[in-house]
Amino acid sequence: MVHALDEIRRVLVDGGIMIDMRPILDGWPIEVTSARSSRGTGRVQDLPPGIADDNAANQSIAQAEQDGWFIRQDEAFFPFVYSWDTPSEMEEWIEEEWEDFIRLEEATKQATRSAWASADADARVQVNVKMLITRWRVAAQNLKAASRS
Amino acid sequence: MTIQKDREGNEKKHLHKFADFATSRTRVLEIGCGEGRLTWQYARETRSTIAIDIDADSLRVATIDRPSDLENKAHFSLAKSEQLPFSKESFDMAILAWSF
Repeated sequence: MVHALDEIRRVLVDGGIMIDMRPILDGWPIEVTSARSSRGTGRVQDLPPGIADDNAANQSIAQAEQDGWFIRQDEAFFPFVYSWDTPSEMEEWIEEEWEDFIRLEEATKQATRSAWASADADARVQVNVKMLITRWRVAAQNLKAASRS
Repeated sequence: MTIQKDREGNEKKHLHKFADFATSRTRVLEIGCGEGRLTWQYARETRSTIAIDIDADSLRVATIDRPSDLENKAHFSLAKSEQLPFSKESFDMAILAWSF
């Protein structure tokens, strides 16, 4: 990842901007929602490979900042909501698309199915993914040169 | 399967707030574009966008799905972020889209 950051600053102009936008594992909450109500049913379980990936990314960017490659300008978290018609669709998606970094415990599956079964007809199931967005400015050319020497 | 992603548009709102495309005619490099879902949300406001990914199938979908008004503005390329096939200082902005 450090190599990628070095390449990115190479192709950016001095003072150029890098926007890093990515999901952060944090036991994303699950909800059954309808127009009339919303009910939390548990959280996804973060898996060690996913946590390791997050840590590696954080360490790489921290190293790049420490080396003076990039200057952090702004940072925020925001929710990115995935929503499905039914609990089984959510379970299928998580097993097929996110199996490497999160899983659902059986109790959470049961709680979600139960809440959805007793909810209004328009109820959907959603996972609120925690997103991090950071704006970085590329350090001036003299700092680039200094850090390479 | 009916899946909805970011119905409230939080991703687009935050990207535009942080990237501030309106202030300059920006040359953008997007890294990890996949099928172009994010690309369509900002490319019109750039001078040019080159979006890369390591998945050729996703890039094929992105090229097919590219809106006609972006044909001369948004381009896709098979490339790794560790070895960018571009010369020094080619871009004003890089967007790392879910890629780390």
